[in-house]
Amino acid sequence: MATPPDSATGPDPDPQKESHGWKWLLSAPALLVLLVAASGPLMIVAVYSFLSPGNVGGVEWDFSTEGWFRVFFSRDIFDPENVSWNWANLNVFWRTISLSLQTTLICAVLGFPTAWFIATRPPERRALWLFLITIPFWTNLLIRTFAIQELLRGNGLINTILMATGIIDEPLQLLFSNFAILLGMAYVFLPLMVLPLYAAMDKLDFRLVEAGYDLYASRVRVLWHVILPLVKPGFVAGSILVFIPSIGAYVTPRVLGGGRTMMLGNLIALQFGQGRNWPLGAALAMLLLIIVMAALVFYLRAVNGEEGKRRG
Amino acid sequence: MSAEIEITGLGKVFGQGAAAFRALSDINLSIGTGEFFTLLGPSGCGKTTLLRVIAGFEAPSMGSLKINGDEVAAKGPNARPVNTVFQNYALFPHMSVAQNIGFGLKMLGKPRAEIDATVAEMLRLVRMEPMAERKPSEISGGQQQRVALARALAPRPRVLLLDEPLSALDLKLRKEMQSELKRLQGETGITFVFVTHDQEEALTMSDRIAVMSAGRILQCGTPHDIYHAPSDRFVADFIGDTNFLTVPVAALDAQGATVTLPGGAQAPARLPEGMRPVTGEEVTAVIRPEQATLAEPGAGDMDGVVETSTFFGTDTHIHLKLADGQGFVLRRQNTADLAAPDPGSTLGIALGAGTLRILKD
Repeated sequence: MATPPDSATGPDPDPQKESHGWKWLLSAPALLVLLVAASGPLMIVAVYSFLSPGNVGGVEWDFSTEGWFRVFFSRDIFDPENVSWNWANLNVFWRTISLSLQTTLICAVLGFPTAWFIATRPPERRALWLFLITIPFWTNLLIRTFAIQELLRGNGLINTILMATGIIDEPLQLLFSNFAILLGMAYVFLPLMVLPLYAAMDKLDFRLVEAGYDLYASRVRVLWHVILPLVKPGFVAGSILVFIPSIGAYVTPRVLGGGRTMMLGNLIALQFGQGRNWPLGAALAMLLLIIVMAALVFYLRAVNGEEGKRRG
Repeated sequence: MSAEIEITGLGKVFGQGAAAFRALSDINLSIGTGEFFTLLGPSGCGKTTLLRVIAGFEAPSMGSLKINGDEVAAKGPNARPVNTVFQNYALFPHMSVAQNIGFGLKMLGKPRAEIDATVAEMLRLVRMEPMAERKPSEISGGQQQRVALARALAPRPRVLLLDEPLSALDLKLRKEMQSELKRLQGETGITFVFVTHDQEEALTMSDRIAVMSAGRILQCGTPHDIYHAPSDRFVADFIGDTNFLTVPVAALDAQGATVTLPGGAQAPARLPEGMRPVTGEEVTAVIRPEQATLAEPGAGDMDGVVETSTFFGTDTHIHLKLADGQGFVLRRQNTADLAAPDPGSTLGIALGAGTLRILKD
C-alpha cells in the first residue's frame, strides 16, 4: 500500500501503528502469570541445583556441584573419593525415556485407526465421537489410575477372569511393572494423540486417496505413500503432546509402578521428600527439562530435515 | 471401431429402503477405442456417478461394465486400466510435479529408468519441463491441470476419465486447454471419457455425446445429431437455443407431418421415429434460432411483431411475438450496414426447408 506523501513528513503517527503500541498490554496478565508461575520457579530450581542440601530438606546457601554430580555418579559411603556410576538413577533415566517412547508409539498405533474412524464418519456424527474421546478427562486422573490398579491386581478382574477360564493357574504379576506403567500412560495420553491426528485427517482431501487408488496403489501403499505423509503434522503434534507429559509422568508410575519401578518424576519427588536432597532433586528436574528440550529439537530437526531433503 | 467400454443394464442406487436414491438407471453404452466421448448433463444428472463407476470408486448396483472385453464391475480402481483427471486435480501436495507424474508407474513397479524416461516424456507432452521439481502449491491452476493430465496419462491407461477438468479455469485458459486436450488425445490415441455440464465444450470437443438427465441417458450421438436431431424436449432445450412451438398436426404422410403454423400457414415437419400423432393433435415442433430467416411481412411462413432485439456482435437475436401469442427467437447474421429492427414492427419469418422437427414429449 502506498503511503500518502504528507503523512511521511507530518507529525501524525500511523493510526494502525499507534493501536499496536498498546495492544500488547492485553497479553500482560498472561505474561505476568508466566513470569511469576513458570520462569520464577524455574530460576529457583536452577539456582537450587547448584547449592548444598540442608539437613532436614531445603538448601544451604553454599555453592556446590554435588547435586549435579549425584545425578550420574555415586560415592562410596566410607570412601567419598571412590566414585562409581549411579546405576539406580541411570536405570530410571533409561526406563523413563524408553517407556515414554513406547507410550508415544503405542498411542500413535492405536490413535491412527481411531482418528481415521472418526474422520470418516458423517460430519454430523464426528462431534459425538470426539466428545466420547474426551469423556475420560471428566474423571480425576488419580481415580482412573487406581481403577487400572484394580484391574491389574493379583485378585483383580483380569487375573480373576484368566484363572476362572483356566488359562493360568496362579495370578500374573501385572501390577508394579513396566507393563502396568505403559498401559496406564497409553490409556491416559491416547486422546492427546487422537485429537491432533483427527485434526490433520479432517483437513485431508479424500480425493487424494482416490487418486492414489486410481494410480494403481493398493490400500497399504495408499496409506504409506499418500495418507501417512499428509497426516504427518498430526503425528508430530500428537507425539510431542504424548511424549512430553510421559517423560514427566508422576501419578501413573507412582500408582501402577509402585516404589520399585520409578520414573524420573518419582525420582525427583523422592529427593524433595524422603531423600531430603533438594539440590539433587533440582538437578534432576533441570535434567528432565533438558531431555524434553533436546528431544523436541532432535525430533523437529528430523521431521523438517526429511522435508528439506524431499524438496532439495 | 472396436468397443473399449461396454456398459449394459447398469444401475446405481445409493442408500436403502425409503431413503434409496437411484443415481443411475438402465445405462447402456458402447464407447469405441480412441473415441473422445462426452457425458453431458446438468448437475445432479448422474454423469459424475457414471464416471466414478467406470473408474471403480463406486460399485454398480446392477449391470455389467466391460473394459477392453474384461468384466471389471467387481474390480477396484487400482485393478482397472483406467486413470482419472479429477475435477480439482487432486495432485499429491507432498510430492513434486515429477513425483506426481511418476506415481502411477512407481505403483505399477516399473524400473526407475523407465519411470524417469516416461516422466520426462510426459513433462514434454504437457510442456511442463521447467516445473518438474516444483510442488503443486507452487504452480498455477492451469499448470496443475496439465500435471494432473500428465499424471493420468503416464501409466498409459486404455481409458482416460476426465471429471469436469476445465471447470475451475478461467475462460481463456479453458479454451487453451480444450485444444490441448484434443491434441493430447490425438497424440496418445487413448480413449477419453469426458464429463461436463458445458454444452458448448461438449459440442466442440467430442466425437460422440451422451446427454444425461435424472440418471438416464436420453440421447447418445455425434454433436451434429444431438444438435440438429434432438430426441426429446430436454435435449433440445439443454443443447443450444431452441424455439418450441405448440402447433396442431394438419396432415400426415409417409415422410412426416404437416403442421399448421401460427397465422394459418402450413409447413412440413419431421417426425421422430415411432411417433404417429393423429390429425388435429397438438404437438411440439422445434426450430433453432439460426435456422429461420427474416422476410417481408406476409412473404415468410409466418409473421411476428418485434418485441426486442439484442446485439451480440456477430449476430443479433430478435425476439418476436407470433400471431397466437407464442414467442419466437430468430438469430440474424450481422453486417455493418444492417440496422436493428424497430420494436413493434411486423416482420416475416421464413423457416428453412426441413428445419422444423416434431418432438416426443
